[in-house]
Amino acid sequence: MDFTLSKEQLLIRNTARDFAEKYIEPLVRRIEDENDVPRQIIDRMAELELFGIQFAEEWGGSDGGYDGYVLAMEQIARVSSGVSMILSVNGLGLGAICTYGTKEQKEKYMEPGLTGELLASFAFTEPGTGSDPRQITTMAIREGDSYVINGTKRFISNANFHGPIVVFARESESDEVTAFIVDKFCAGYSISEAWDKIGLKGNRIVDVYLKNVRIPAENMLGKVGRGFNILLSGIAYGKIGISSTYLGITLRAYEEAVKYAMEKKHRGQSIAKFQAMQLRVGELAIKLEAARWLTYRLGCLANNVKDPMTFAREAALTKSFVCENAVDVTRVAVDIHGSYGVMSDYKVQSLYRDAIIGPQIEGVGDMQKMIVAGTILRE
Amino acid sequence: MRNILIYSDNTDYACELLTAAHTIAGEIGYGVTALTINNDDQAEKLALRCGTIYRIRDEAILMADAAAVALVISEVAKKKNAPVVLLSSNRRGKEISGRLAHLTHGGCLTDVSGMTIDNGRLCCRRNTLGGATVVTQAIESDHKVIAVVPKVYDTMEEGEKGAITDIAVEAELSVIKVVEVMPKVKDSVDIEAAEVLVVVGQGMGSRDDLPIVEILAGHLKGAVACTKPVATDKRWLSEERIVGLSGRKCKPDLALLLGVSGQVQFVVGIRDAKTIISVNTDENAPIMTMSDYRMVADMKSVVPELVRAIERL
Amino acid sequence: MNIIVAMKQVPDLHHIRIRNREPVLDDIPMVLGDIDKSALAAAVELKETTQGRVIIMSAGNRKIRDTVKEALAAGGDEAILIEDDDLADEDSSVIAGVLAAAIQRIGDVGIVVFGEGSADNYSGRVFSAVAAILGYPQVGYAKRIELNDSLARVTRSLEDSDEIIEVPLPAVISVVSEIKEPRIPSVKNILKARKKPTAVYHLNELCVEVPAEKNITTISNLAPVSRRKGIVITSVDELAKILKNDRKPDRQAQ
Repeated sequence: MDFTLSKEQLLIRNTARDFAEKYIEPLVRRIEDENDVPRQIIDRMAELELFGIQFAEEWGGSDGGYDGYVLAMEQIARVSSGVSMILSVNGLGLGAICTYGTKEQKEKYMEPGLTGELLASFAFTEPGTGSDPRQITTMAIREGDSYVINGTKRFISNANFHGPIVVFARESESDEVTAFIVDKFCAGYSISEAWDKIGLKGNRIVDVYLKNVRIPAENMLGKVGRGFNILLSGIAYGKIGISSTYLGITLRAYEEAVKYAMEKKHRGQSIAKFQAMQLRVGELAIKLEAARWLTYRLGCLANNVKDPMTFAREAALTKSFVCENAVDVTRVAVDIHGSYGVMSDYKVQSLYRDAIIGPQIEGVGDMQKMIVAGTILRE
Repeated sequence: MRNILIYSDNTDYACELLTAAHTIAGEIGYGVTALTINNDDQAEKLALRCGTIYRIRDEAILMADAAAVALVISEVAKKKNAPVVLLSSNRRGKEISGRLAHLTHGGCLTDVSGMTIDNGRLCCRRNTLGGATVVTQAIESDHKVIAVVPKVYDTMEEGEKGAITDIAVEAELSVIKVVEVMPKVKDSVDIEAAEVLVVVGQGMGSRDDLPIVEILAGHLKGAVACTKPVATDKRWLSEERIVGLSGRKCKPDLALLLGVSGQVQFVVGIRDAKTIISVNTDENAPIMTMSDYRMVADMKSVVPELVRAIERL
Repeated sequence: MNIIVAMKQVPDLHHIRIRNREPVLDDIPMVLGDIDKSALAAAVELKETTQGRVIIMSAGNRKIRDTVKEALAAGGDEAILIEDDDLADEDSSVIAGVLAAAIQRIGDVGIVVFGEGSADNYSGRVFSAVAAILGYPQVGYAKRIELNDSLARVTRSLEDSDEIIEVPLPAVISVVSEIKEPRIPSVKNILKARKKPTAVYHLNELCVEVPAEKNITTISNLAPVSRRKGIVITSVDELAKILKNDRKPDRQAQ
């Protein structure tokens, strides 16, 4: 057991940090105000091959492993969680295609998906259901060599970009949940206005309307009735991205709090001299390290998954901890700032808004605990 | 008698080097001499300020060839018993210095912003660690090459009646060739020369705030300068207006800093100002502790009000 | 043609703290300076036009092996390092001697590129000293370089003019940061960098003598003390009055 990063890992981290500070930071205000990520950021990320870190070279990735992915995501989220969520969701959609797709599907989507030309989405949730596949109402009706899909998907990221969207629908002949790849903005595809969420600005989430969307039958991802497996595996891997994002938020909150505590003076004395501040900073450091090493560990585990159920459990416990921890950390960071902490000039307020979202998305907190408990109380 | 020899391609800097040389010459009992190369006008000007001027007129010496110039200087220094050579720390001077030090086997320091004699040792001050600290170093070797930052020393007053002596040295044929010289399109404003500087930093939210800042600077008979990101990232002002490590080092009588946080790299360029006034929304900005006067306020609202207030006074 | 880029590892200036006026340098990560990275970016571009090879050269303590990986990721083809823990304290003339000795071991040298000054010290002396030792012509402060087989055409950026200079190869050239933005290495190149060759020399292998007597000794290195009045202003009128009045007595006093 050796918890040191290799020079290459440090370089991936530094590269992502340099990139984020140089190219994202000057645009953060705009991202927040417009709830949109300017195209130049996506192009630049593609140039630096940040979309493909975790994927194999065979498919155009850089073979940097999920551990490399976690390190880069942490640094990008440190500057803009909205940008890192775009990466995360793209990785989620492409990850499903890379794992379950046919050779043709991979050839069609992997390369453009890693060069930023296309951005992938992953669409399970519907207005009537959260995580329960039995409630799915989107239908894929077999008509000869094609499927016709109808339904509405809710809270979908990257749906405003061109690219593949992995849609979970009830296959008409088997009545079982099955995954399909749809090209966004094809005939019958439309999206709502973006939901106005309180944080994670830049990561637009919309509702996706599929109205008589006709796709060739070979666009089925995996086999008929395997949708639930693809979903479980997809969201387990997706939790690496969201955990890294919330680790980045935690890191930034810690940094902002420390900076403020060192600079702020009260009656001529640095507030860092007050024990109340010292206790808070100590608490933040402890919570940051805990979140960091759980997340790094998840990245390492993802490189070599032997048992998907075990991995799903590790992903669930990591996501659950890191997200809830981020709420605590950002809250304490706001406290250190006092009244300034809720003013829009201070970064920490946006981190707090981002943090509150974490436990509510990509599988709510209670769901994660049930997954963990399920692996323990099996008998 | 041993001598200090001064040389700069720039006449103004050469006149400053005379002042610099005199701050140490007396204590170590050296004379002060100057060298000009293919610059009669400079020789005349120096003759009003310095006793001995060696003048070289030799078109074979290519000023663009630092190696050739260094060789000439080393020959003169040797002939005229000048173990200490002062150069200006502009680009030409810095390029010559390393080469000259190699020829004389002397210790060499560039970007020197102050010199003292301490127990007979010649000590130089210069910024290091990106300007975070000032290092004091002694040159221990007998031969010394020192490149002095322009504008640190005042111009030598006229007074001395100098003699110009023409000398010749064997110049090497340059292998480099100057194809073209293009004068830089100069910003009409010289921030180094301004007595009053109004400096804008990233606290200036928009380019639209610039005209009113210009008006303010006009009222104060000053020039507008900026921090690096304002010129290089935002491109709201030309790069010649940058104050700091990678821009100009200014020492105005008065510097009014608007929305400048005060990173070390910037502070290096302004810390010699006589009076510093800062307006910043962040009372904890590092610049606040480095200011004579500080005001916690948004420059956006302060500047128009200030323009009106000055007009009223 | 070999294009050599001399780079210096420096403490990351963003991490330097000052305690009791002394800089705290312990545990500060070592990095390559931005101007050096610009020099590398320029060299990599030249390599693409000349089919040359970019060799990174650096002298420093044992951290240098790690530090230089970033340059290999950003486009260097190989690295030649002179590793010695005492080198960091040496005068620029010693460093120049060491670099020159290592350069002499490389054949087919086209140009040797330096940043105009190191990020920490900014002296810019090593470049011309290396040129002097090798007996190569030099051109400082390049903002543009074009290469052919035997000649470099360099645009030198001076304070008030630009000069276009032609210089025969091999030549030593220093560059200003405008020449090229530093390249941020891509993830793939980072991972490939570990396979690029790195040769490490020790001082004695290069037969460079480090003189016992130092030309330059450091007496102190302290953060400057600011002696400022620190008066708080609360109104614009007050500020206006100070701007109008403060300068006058000061100026008369001179």
